[in-house]
Formats: sequence, structure tokens, C-alpha cells
Amino acid sequence: MRKKMIMLGMAFAMFCLLLFSGLALARTTLVVWDIMTESNQYYPAFDAANARFRELYPDVELKHVPIQNDNYKTKLRTAMAADNTPDIFMTWGSAGLKKYVDNNKVYDLTDDLSKEWQARFAPAAMGLGNFDGRQYGLPITNTAVSLLWYRKDMFEKYGLTPPQTFEELLAVGQVLKQNGITPFALANKNKWTGSMYFMYLVDRIGGPGTLQKALNRSGAFNDAPFIEAGQKLQQMVDLGFFPKGVNGLDEDTGQSRALLYADKAAMYLMGSWFVGVVKLENPAIMDKMDFVVFPAVKGGRGNPGNLVGTFGDLYFSISADSEHKEAALNYLKLISDDTMAQELVKAGCIPPLTGSAKYIDDPVLQKVAEIAQRAESVQLWYDQSLPLELTQVHLNTTQALFDKSITPEEAANKMEATAQEYFGK
Amino acid sequence: MATSNWKSKLSAGLIYLLLLIWLIITGYPLIFMLQNSLKGNIEFYTTPVWSFTSFRVDNYQEVITSGFYWYFINSIIVCTAAVFIIIIAASLASYIIVRVDWQLKHFVYLLFVAGMMIPIHSTLIPVYKLTLSLGLYDTLAGLVGPYVAFSLPVSIFILTGFMREIPREMEEVAFIDGANYYQLFTRIIFPLLKPAIATIAIYNLTLLWNEFAYALVLTSSPEKRILTLGLFEFQSAYGVDIPKTLTALLLSVIPLLIMYIFFQERVIKGMTAGAVKG
Amino acid sequence: MLFLLPAAFFFLLYLVVPIPVSGYYSLFKWDGIGTLNFIQLDNWKRLLSDDVFWLAVSNNFKLVIISIIGQIPIALILAVLLTRKLSGVNFFKTVFFIPMLISSVAVAFLWRYMYDPTFGLINAVLEGIGLESWALSWLGDTGVVFYSIAIAVCWRFIPLYMIIFMAAISGISEQLYEAARIDGASPFQSFWKITLPLLLPTMINAVVLVIVGSLKYFGMVYALSGGGPNHASEVMATYMYTKSFTELRMGYGSTISLSLFLIAFVVSVFFLALTKRSIRD
Repeated sequence: MRKKMIMLGMAFAMFCLLLFSGLALARTTLVVWDIMTESNQYYPAFDAANARFRELYPDVELKHVPIQNDNYKTKLRTAMAADNTPDIFMTWGSAGLKKYVDNNKVYDLTDDLSKEWQARFAPAAMGLGNFDGRQYGLPITNTAVSLLWYRKDMFEKYGLTPPQTFEELLAVGQVLKQNGITPFALANKNKWTGSMYFMYLVDRIGGPGTLQKALNRSGAFNDAPFIEAGQKLQQMVDLGFFPKGVNGLDEDTGQSRALLYADKAAMYLMGSWFVGVVKLENPAIMDKMDFVVFPAVKGGRGNPGNLVGTFGDLYFSISADSEHKEAALNYLKLISDDTMAQELVKAGCIPPLTGSAKYIDDPVLQKVAEIAQRAESVQLWYDQSLPLELTQVHLNTTQALFDKSITPEEAANKMEATAQEYFGK
Repeated sequence: MATSNWKSKLSAGLIYLLLLIWLIITGYPLIFMLQNSLKGNIEFYTTPVWSFTSFRVDNYQEVITSGFYWYFINSIIVCTAAVFIIIIAASLASYIIVRVDWQLKHFVYLLFVAGMMIPIHSTLIPVYKLTLSLGLYDTLAGLVGPYVAFSLPVSIFILTGFMREIPREMEEVAFIDGANYYQLFTRIIFPLLKPAIATIAIYNLTLLWNEFAYALVLTSSPEKRILTLGLFEFQSAYGVDIPKTLTALLLSVIPLLIMYIFFQERVIKGMTAGAVKG
Repeated sequence: MLFLLPAAFFFLLYLVVPIPVSGYYSLFKWDGIGTLNFIQLDNWKRLLSDDVFWLAVSNNFKLVIISIIGQIPIALILAVLLTRKLSGVNFFKTVFFIPMLISSVAVAFLWRYMYDPTFGLINAVLEGIGLESWALSWLGDTGVVFYSIAIAVCWRFIPLYMIIFMAAISGISEQLYEAARIDGASPFQSFWKITLPLLLPTMINAVVLVIVGSLKYFGMVYALSGGGPNHASEVMATYMYTKSFTELRMGYGSTISLSLFLIAFVVSVFFLALTKRSIRD
């Protein structure tokens, strides 16, 4: 009996000990949340920046909390819901950030942005962190555009040239198919991967303003270009252009790229970050890879120079209730300076920071940067430009288009119905 | 005599065959993890996942020398503390529910059992707010509370099931000898419950060791991270080092495996000691 | 009564309190951050006519049935085999428990590669023995995906019931078997006449655990398919998670979680009441 009592007492003591060990931290610390875990491509750049910050501001204790990508959003939302935010946090800009701005969780940076500092950022990238003319988030990484990657050696082997038009794309695909090769590597469990095809088809058919019109309600989500895009997509599905069981494959575990590496697929519509991924996974194949922009559609209104993607990817913001705004501003200034730009380029990034172009020496990245600069329009990913409610419907209906469990008309009407409910008209 | 010998050999052979089949079905994941953890990242994407292609130990070195070691210790602290409290709280409560006659006992039992139906994710936000207001946010202790709470219903459910099977005679004898409830519990019930307690200890350890949702939202700083969160550090937005993730996963299984073997022995001892043979 | 205190403390604080809180949230349209907009019973009305929710409910019940049929008998057979005094049994016991030990991240990962339509082991074997037409896209086909996941779930949880049965069998008196052997009963007969009847209470408990576990199951479904494609493998818990944390509809998410709780509660109470009566008879 006594033994049990002692054990109970010990358990209680242990509980208390653990409890107080957590209360010890309460000094001037600057807490930063982002996704820069050690395996992140850009980790070296941020690690160097953190080291510089610690050296420059020894009186501030920098507490950098990297969280893995998928879990980051859940964690940030829970923290926001309970008003327990870090001083600095990272978002993907646009709708996600706006939600926090609308609820007064984010510090307005506009008045702190000196001309000089403002000039550090590529103007095209600022938009996603700007709401009603006020700047809430600053873009630190990354120009990312979706491109049509292809295996040069396989195209050569079968006497193919990279497609310029959708019709050529169909022809190329059929030749590959006849030779037992899946034309496109795609893993669509993640949904945003298949969405790239849809976004490009809408742009090529209806022109760059199509989505904007649907969003400002001068057009609709069941306008012809959306339906036609769905039809063209299903045409590719019918011809067997995508891997077997495409909606069950997982991009995050590389089930798409594995097909490309194993000579089982020849093309891959993917963001320009693919360059960095290949370097980690299979650098030898990079010599055999090249890219073109997504082909034009005959009679369509979209210029094939138009891109889908973003100029800014990760946006850094300060919490409205941060008690260390000055230190936080210093941190933001540091991660947007010229040294940071240089470091980011070294890590394979095309930073949205002025003057970073001169540091880029990788030929593929140079080409990506050039194409992005020349593009007349860059359509932001739908899952960033649409409100959350519509994003989910877009992703779900597009995935359903891939296994033909929905017709293009049904998908478009579903989108429109949700839009009407959301906008109230 | 000869035929029965032949027969028993045949049946033993059949049993081993069945066991062998199941051995392959359940043991293969370890081999799968091992064969791919020995590969480099590039190699992983360029060779079939079902083959041994190389025997590099680099991943093991890197994982062990990273912060992983601390995550291990954190996990061990949280899980042992939680399991310890669960065993005491659950066996005490089960005893009251099964052995002591009082009016509300069926209601209380039902209440605890109902606790099993609560989906963990639906309590995330209330529990998060509660943890903040208790000042337990970002502490290991903050995790113990919800872990205990979530394991209690199942543990009580399993323990009461076992306890009902224990014959009452021994207690009655002891009761007549003048023992109180506390003595009855510690001297008779608790020892008899050993196999069941080992079962709930194993059960809860395996669940808590792999718990993720609470650990994600209730802790923040890297030095408070537990193992499951640490595992995710090998995955990033733009690329995944799968061999390294598998290395970390494999290493994370080892302490559990050791504990299981240890508890397994206890179960067997408990039954050969004859306590339950009654 | 003091004995109840520690359990009641944790239980009330962390488990009971969140339930009315969920009930409260279910009356609001709430994104988890901003203001709560009171919308009365709109979330509940929407739930009743939400096809995806009912699909998820039916998937949960399918999972219950598959798990009872798939897990309990295999676990029982293994437990019986492993409690016989054979050499090497300890080794088997240890290995058989492995699926429970590995985190669901790793288990999902393994099964993802088992099911890969191009590189996967299952399809490779099927093609190897000339059954190409059976080689499906296990996680991509809306008609198959749910069963593929259910198999992986069974594989993972069989060891749990195996040890529960083993612990129960070890509690059965050796003398009973001895007596049966003297009476000339075969091992098979003594299994039917002794082991099975005495295991009945444990089996009922195991079935309750299966029911409850299957109704609120989340882990592997989320990791393997996220409930997709096209909601084909959606279960209540994944649907709730998507609504609450991906679409940020906390109010509706709370509605789903509360109904999940109610459904699971009613079903298991019903089952317990049913079995209690049949035991008495």
C-alpha cells in the first residue's frame, strides 16, 4: 500500500516538474514560424539569415520554429483561433492571409515600408500580400510557374518535337502511347497537380481574363471556356494520356516522378521548382530534361506566352499583437536584403527580390526567369486566387474530371452554383 | 500410439505453416523499411522499392546525430508518464465500477465507455484553449493530460472486462479477514490484473507513441517536440527524402519493440505463476 | 469513491467538456478565427441532406463489418496458435505485433507502394501469375479504393485483438483442458467446448472495440487517400477534418463530429444491450 502511495506521489511530482519546466521562458524572444525544416530546399538560406540576425541583434533571442509543410496550416490556424500567434509567421499570401487580415490578426506594414525597402521587392509579387492598398505580407520566395517538362531523349527516339499546339500535343501523346509509354506523369491524389492542366486549358481557350470575369461576376464559372477546358481534359483522359489510377497516386511521395525516372512517362506538367527536386532525387536525369510552355489551343484567345504560377510564393507577416514589432521589422528587413537574395538563388530559388537575377547562373533557372519576365500575364494558381470555399469545389470537380465521374458541364455548373452561393449573386 | 505421434507432428507442421505465412505478411514491413533505409535518396527513386541495392549506413548516422535523439527522450517521458497515470487511474476506477456496489455505477461505466466514441480531432480546439489557459502550452506536461484522458475510456473498458472474470471468492475471504477496499485492491485485484494491465500498457503505448494531432498543436518549440513530429522534418514542400524518413521511422520502432518484448514476458510470467488459474 | 477521482479528473476536463462546446459551435457559421455567426440549426439541416456525409456514414459501417469479419477470426486463430506450447512461439509473438508498433505514417507509406499500379508489389505478383486483368489501380479506382484501405486497416489492427485474446486465453484454467484431454476430446473439440465459450465476453468486448474504432477511424484513410478520389473512401472523421481544418468550416465540422459521436454511442450501446440479453438467455 505504501509503495503504491509513493508511486502515485512520484507521478504527481513528475507532472508538476514537467509543468514548471515550461513556464521558465518569458524573456524578450522573437518567435518565427515558417516551413524551413532542414529538408526544405531553402533551408540553407534561412539558416544563414537566422545566424546573421543573431549576430546583429544579440539582445533579441530569436526562436525559429520550423514546421513541416502539411502540418503548418493546421498549426497556424489553431494558434490564430486562440490568439496565441508567433511574432512573425509565414503564409502563401492571398486568400489564406486575407482571412487573418480580416480578423485583425496581422500587422499593417505599409507605414514601415520605406521607399528603399519597398524597392527591394519585385512589384508583381507584392500583390498577394496587399489588400485594399495596405501591405500585410512580404514576398521572400519564389517565382514559380508551371511548365511542360519533357524527356529530350525519348522525344528524339520517337522522332517527336515538343508540341506547340494542343493538336500537336494530342498527336505526340498518341505516338508515345503506341510505344507503350504513358504520355504524362501525374499524381492526382493531391488535386492541385491535375488542376494545372485545367488552369492552362482555360487560359489558352478563354484568355487570361476568364477567371477574373467569373470572379467579379461579369462572367460565370460555367462560361464556355471552363466547359471546353473540361472537355479537352477528358479528351486526354480518353486517349489514355495519364497513368493508371492517377487519382490515387501521391505527388508527395514522388509516385509521378518515379514514372518519369523509370522511362515509363515522357512529359510532366509541373512547377519550376521541379529543377530543385530533380537535383535532390535524380540529378542525372536533368540533362535529359527540357521544358516548353503549355501549347496553344487553335481558335483560343490565350497567348501561349501566358503562364500559370506565381511571382511570390511564401509571404512573411508580423502578428498584430506582437510585442516586439521593432525586432520583427528588423528580421523582415534582413530576410529581404541582398545577401539573402544571393543565398536564395544559391538554393535554387528565383527570389522576388530586386537584383537577384544577376546571381542566377543555372541555365535552366535563367530560362525560367526569362520566360516569366516576358510573360504578358501570369495567372495565379486557382487554389490561391479563389476563395477557400470555391477552391475546394474547383479541386474536387477537376479531380472528378480525371476519372470521368463528372461531365465538364456538371463540373462547371457545380462551380457556378457554389460561386452564386458565395457571392450572393 | 504411432498414429497419434504422426498426427501430432502433422498438426504441429500445419501450425508452423500457418504461422510462417502470417510471419511473412506481418514481418515484411520491417524488411521493406530496412531495405529502403539503406538507400540514398537518388537511388530510392531509380531502383525498385522491393530490392536491396546497397547497404549505406549514412542515413542512420545522419538521423541519429540530428535532433532526433531529443525527440526520442521527449516521447519516452510523455508516454511513460501518461501510461503510468493511465494504469493507476484506470485500474482504480475499474475496481470501483466492477466490485463496489453503488447506485450510479452503471451510469458512470456508460459515461466512460461513451468517451471512447469521441473523435480526437473534434476536441483539438477546445483542448488547445484549455491548455493555453492552464499555462501548459508548449510543455510536455500539457500533452500528458489529453493523452491520459483519451486512453482512459478504452483502458477502463478492457480492465472492467477482465475484472468481471476474476472470481470473487478470494476477496470475500480477505474481506472477512478484515481487509479494507484499499488493501483488497492492492493485494488481490491489482496482482491478478497483471496480464490485463500489460495489455492496456502495450495498447496505449503503441497509440500514444504514434499520436500526432495533439503534439502538433499543443507544443511549439523544437526542443519540446516528440518523435512523431520529428519524423516529419525529413519531408518538405518541394521534395521528400524517403530513405531518411524510413530510417527515422525504423529507429522509432525499436524502443516500442523492446518494451513489447519486456511486457510480453510479464504476461507469460503472470500466467505461469498460476495466479489466475484459480 | 476516492478511487474514481484521478480518472474522473482527466476525463471530465479533456473529454466531457469539449462535447457541449462542439454542440455550441454546431449552431454557428464559424471559420475558426473570426466572429461566430449564429445560424440556428442550419448546419444540422445541411448535414441531413449532405450526400457526402451519408456516403461517409455508410463507409464507416462497411468498415465495421469488414473489420469484424476480417479481424476477429484471424486474431482469434493466431491467439490460439500462439498460446500452444511450441518452440519459437515467442519469436512469432514479437513479429506478429509489428504492424501495431509502426506509426501509421510508415504503414500508409508501405501500403502506398504495395498498391502502386505501376511499381507495386501486388500488381507485379498478379501480372507474374498471369492475372493482368485483376491488376487494378487499387487507390485510384473509386469502386475499389475503400476496400483497399479496409484491408490495410485490418492488417494493422489484427495484432491488437490477438494480444487481447492471448491475455484472455492465458486466464483460462489449464485444468479444464487437462480434464477434457482425459475425456478423450481432440484439441479441436476442446477449442469449441472450452476456449470459445470462455472467450465469449472478451470477444464481445473486442467487437465493441472494433465498432467504436471503425466508426471514428481516421489515420490510414487520411494518409492513404485523404477520403478520395471523389469522396469514394470518405469516412466521418476524414470528412470532419477536411471541413474543419482544410475548408475552415468549424461550425459544420463540429456538427459532423457531434453526429459521429452520437452515432457511435448509439450503435455500441445497442450492441452491448443486445449481447447482454443474449448472454443471459
